[in-house]
Amino acid sequence: MARTRSTKGTTAPSTSTTTTKTTTATTTTKYSLPAESENPPRVFILPKKATPAARIVTLSNPRYARPSRYLVCPEAGFFEFTRISAPKTAPRSWLLEAGSSAAAEAQTTKGAELYLASPIDPLFLVLPALAGSGQQKKRMFLTSDDHFDALSESSASSHLSEVLRWPGIRPVLERRMAAVCDTVEAGDESMFRLNESKLLDEILAKTRRMSELGFPKSMEEKFVAKVLEAPILGVRSSQAVKPTGTTTAAAQEEEESSATQTPSAADSSSESQSTVSSLKTSASSLSESSTSASTPATSVDDDGTEPVISNAMTAPAEAVRLQRLRVSFNFICSSYVAPPLAAVLKDKLAEAKDKADFKVLDEYLTQLTELRQEAVAARAVDYSRKHTLDEEEDERAEKRRKKEEEDKVKKANQSRGVNKLKKVNTTGMKKMSEFFKKK
Amino acid sequence: MAHPILSFESAISSPDSQTKATPNLLPCRVHHDGPIGSVETYWEPKQGEDGSSTAFFRGRKLVGKTVKLPEGYRGVVAAKADKSSPVARPDDELNQVGDLEGEGEGEGESGPEQGSMQVQAEFDEMVIWGHEATVDNAEDPYTRGMEEMLSLADLVRQLSVSLYLSGLKC
Repeated sequence: MARTRSTKGTTAPSTSTTTTKTTTATTTTKYSLPAESENPPRVFILPKKATPAARIVTLSNPRYARPSRYLVCPEAGFFEFTRISAPKTAPRSWLLEAGSSAAAEAQTTKGAELYLASPIDPLFLVLPALAGSGQQKKRMFLTSDDHFDALSESSASSHLSEVLRWPGIRPVLERRMAAVCDTVEAGDESMFRLNESKLLDEILAKTRRMSELGFPKSMEEKFVAKVLEAPILGVRSSQAVKPTGTTTAAAQEEEESSATQTPSAADSSSESQSTVSSLKTSASSLSESSTSASTPATSVDDDGTEPVISNAMTAPAEAVRLQRLRVSFNFICSSYVAPPLAAVLKDKLAEAKDKADFKVLDEYLTQLTELRQEAVAARAVDYSRKHTLDEEEDERAEKRRKKEEEDKVKKANQSRGVNKLKKVNTTGMKKMSEFFKKK
Repeated sequence: MAHPILSFESAISSPDSQTKATPNLLPCRVHHDGPIGSVETYWEPKQGEDGSSTAFFRGRKLVGKTVKLPEGYRGVVAAKADKSSPVARPDDELNQVGDLEGEGEGEGESGPEQGSMQVQAEFDEMVIWGHEATVDNAEDPYTRGMEEMLSLADLVRQLSVSLYLSGLKC
């Protein structure tokens, strides 16, 4: 390539100059690399609305009660840090190119972490204190101070007491507490006690918003489309096929999701099914949401016009909506709520039929599981028949492979002359043994 | 205290003169932290016509895709400042916080350790490089994280925002 050559040409003189320079300074290395800095640069993505007064503090993580880093701004509120790092299989590094200014130098880092500061509802941060440690113990009305004290005590390295002294933080926290608590005025102070129904309402409201405004694409695909997707059945099979079943559930999903997609995510055009494994918060925690139904045995062909193959059934719109609701509810619970409280909330949700009735979805899902089981069973019959054949085939293949290997070894030992002679056309010639027969 | 409270401090006083940087996410690991001197001799990305850029790094062809940060967010390259650097400065916001600490029953001194992150540069877009081809949007944790996590987090939080802001005003 001409380009590489040209760059090589340009680099050659400069390297020679550097070598001459460095040989005078150090004799050990050809290139002198500036010393590693002890504090490597880190790449952050911060909200614009955070003021310079914002600080990175350590607070207790509401889900795991471990100290985690948060960005707290007296004006913009609370932000949690999400660390995105490259998986081990695909190593990455930052090359931080300085802009046009000559003063700054380019830098590299060993790791490739990207720290995202995403907003978090401070309600979740105080939730552990409100929920209390023991489930059996009756919750008391306590002042906000007592609640905050309980929070600070639970983790020694928390900066909560410090943060509370900043202006504006305390009223915000108290307001958020009031949203999920029963309050009692005692003198000039308010006392708070967690009301689980109120908390459920609050989370459900968030859930609704999340599911209505559209899911991120990868989440939609993995937890909604995939779960509701019916197995493909040939028309020949005895299953009653709805005439509308020609458009696949997935294709429908696709349309819906692209319609409701936020503009930022809309340009991600790739359609391959992605995994959420590397993202910290949405990773394994969400897997519990994908219900008991196993993943379908076959993947849906995106081409809905295929005349022979069609889905056995399509998810009704109501079921899709409910599934989104359920996934987002589980997502919130599994990222921000401690396990015991999350379990209580889930039970409450199951009871509260008036708030969110999952009947349609559950019915659809049971139907779907049955269908899948049938599909799997139908296939299992085929497999068992095939299996015996496969074994015989395996044995034969094994023998063949062994023979081939032996042949290879033989061939490797033969001389080139012998090999060449093998190719000689011997038709019409006498066999070698002819000459050695008794006359 | 394992982790001090950190603040973002910019090295340059006025925000206008803040240096703009371009973070490049290389598809390989460079085993070096810190400055590397001048890069012009071996890092020359060329802008292609379809929005992607190409560069040759140690004989390998890299194709980069420029990713804009989501609305309302800014990128910051920052490093932890040395412990020795003075934290208390005669700066407005810092003074404000300092005053508050003073009010808190004189606990300012015994409070948690304070540190700062030195902001070295800001950026509003970054380039994600892949070998021979641009990275897959749906596969790449960086683009997905930026686009999806942030919008999702906004949604989870948003509901309370109006309430939240009204709380701050009074």
